[in-house]
Amino acid sequence: MNFFSRALRIRELPGLLGLFVIYVGTGLINPRFFSPSVLNDILYGVAIVAILAIAQTFVIVMRHIDLSVGSVIGFTSFLIGDLSSQGYSLGAVLAVAALVGAAVGALNGFLVAYLGLPSLVVTLATLYIVRGIFNQVGAGKTIVESMVPKELNWLGLNRLFGVPYLFIIAVVLMVVAGVIMHKSRAARDLYAIGSNPSAAELVGIPVKRRILLAFVATGAVSGLAGAVMLARFSSASTQSGLGLELLVVAACVVGGVSIAGGSGTVFGAVIGAILLQQILLSIGALGIPQFWQLAVNGALIIGAIGLDRYLSTRVKPSNIMGAES
Amino acid sequence: MSKFSIRKSLFTWDKGVVLFLVISILIGSFGSQYFATASNLSFVIQSIAEIAIIATAMAFLIISGEIDLSVASMMALTSASIGYAFQAGVPFEASILIGLLVGLLAGIFNGVLVTVFGLPSLAVTIATLALYRGLCWVLLENKPVNQLPTDWVALGNENIPNTFLPWATIPLVLLAGVAWFVLHTTKLGRWVFVIGTNPVAAKFSGIPVNRVKLGLFAYSGLMSAVAGVIYTLRFASASPDGGAGYELSVIAAVLFGGVAIAGGVGTMWGVLAAVISLGVIRSALQLVGFSANALLVVSGGLLLISVILPRVTEFVRSQRSRASIQSNNKEKVNT
Repeated sequence: MNFFSRALRIRELPGLLGLFVIYVGTGLINPRFFSPSVLNDILYGVAIVAILAIAQTFVIVMRHIDLSVGSVIGFTSFLIGDLSSQGYSLGAVLAVAALVGAAVGALNGFLVAYLGLPSLVVTLATLYIVRGIFNQVGAGKTIVESMVPKELNWLGLNRLFGVPYLFIIAVVLMVVAGVIMHKSRAARDLYAIGSNPSAAELVGIPVKRRILLAFVATGAVSGLAGAVMLARFSSASTQSGLGLELLVVAACVVGGVSIAGGSGTVFGAVIGAILLQQILLSIGALGIPQFWQLAVNGALIIGAIGLDRYLSTRVKPSNIMGAES
Repeated sequence: MSKFSIRKSLFTWDKGVVLFLVISILIGSFGSQYFATASNLSFVIQSIAEIAIIATAMAFLIISGEIDLSVASMMALTSASIGYAFQAGVPFEASILIGLLVGLLAGIFNGVLVTVFGLPSLAVTIATLALYRGLCWVLLENKPVNQLPTDWVALGNENIPNTFLPWATIPLVLLAGVAWFVLHTTKLGRWVFVIGTNPVAAKFSGIPVNRVKLGLFAYSGLMSAVAGVIYTLRFASASPDGGAGYELSVIAAVLFGGVAIAGGVGTMWGVLAAVISLGVIRSALQLVGFSANALLVVSGGLLLISVILPRVTEFVRSQRSRASIQSNNKEKVNT
């Protein structure tokens, strides 16, 4: 097999190429784009979506989806601020955040795995329910900077060797999740489930347990990500995290995590998140009105899905999904 | 198979929704003296008109096994186009036509991506959700258009003379009637069910699957555009962020109305009953003092119930039939 066709097999390649082309292209037109402060802005801004996209990868490779993450992260970022301003320790409030996320994930996972309900509907419903509970709990309250735990404030403001801590957290999570997804048997099973659910059942994979576990993991990570969100914005209100779920799914798709299940990596998801964030800044650097940002994002996602489809039909002619449709 | 067993049974979910509608109207009437007043009923109809009109098209799409998440963005894009054209000096009537055309084209674009390029509709319409909403911002930036002709705005806010029905009732009844007629009495409607049940079999039996699906996406765009016109008149404003999140309300209503997300199952009157009962229960709960937050939880809970309950009845039925098969087998062994 020649080099070119092997390179095409790398799902992350289009995302990486896009990242490089847009970075260099914008920099050539506006040299200030190459300054370290822009790079810093990209890395700082991307942390939240990157972490959520890593978590989302667990469910998307199973051919499922979790739309409730935007409500979960908003709720836990509020809870962390609210509880710590009442005097609870950081460890305790982080545990609460992880538990809330895991509980929502467990509900999603149970309904999807054991009752066989479609994840799109289930997580749409929990999106509403969590947001409703959040609005009730947080009615009229706003978390301001003085209520944010000192450690989180510090994390949000400082960097290590010029790299924002929030981005380092995302990278550490990416490496840990990446190794798990690559090495652990249970995580490999997720890919098998996404490629062909009934075959996965037949070869003896405990499909239901795996689906439940993946949703719990996604929920718990999204819950903990509330801490990162609070560190980033130093504030939280009932508007926090509204609509974030679609951006997260978009980041995954752009990064080569196939919505049809069975392929994609957490590395790709992070690349996708960085690409979306970079476009946001490059629009500004090119002097294009900010109002174009969302439209460009949308066009980019269409391009990414199209490219993904093109590559998967060209590179893998014996693709089962292709034969089915 | 399970789909047919559900349809054959005496109690089906869409009948349950109608029952639910009656109950919620009763609760509303007994719970609050303001519920059954003309002004409140007018308000309820007005508040559901846009969602109901989009839901008629969404029902077709979901029954055919596809989905369209971009409906709220197409609705807003229609509204933004109307505002943009009117601001640029186009007569308001022509602006409305331009808006409808934009919505139709947006729907066709979705359909082309799905049918010609073979992309999954869930992913495509998440992308065009962002794209169309982004185009709203490009058209209007952050400046909503508010100076709309007053006699048109009156259409969006006043009732038909001598009734408590808002003007939006007319397109709502007409479009719902057409949707019901097409889905349940025409060949096209049968095709939609067949495509949703088994697209491959549909193709081999000569149904032009891709053309039908393309048509359904265009229909979804057009209905979103009609809803966009109503929305613009109701709020007397074209703004880039109008109707955000409506797509979830529409899908929730369609699924609550008994349409199966896997495709192939659903009735138009179930969907309409669901939209109306969600509007009624919202109004009733508001009148008896529930907060808007509780309503969110109720909407989510109803959505969950609407998918869980059919699953439970199916399970009970399969247990029962298994038991009867076993007892039959025993009898055979005995004889």
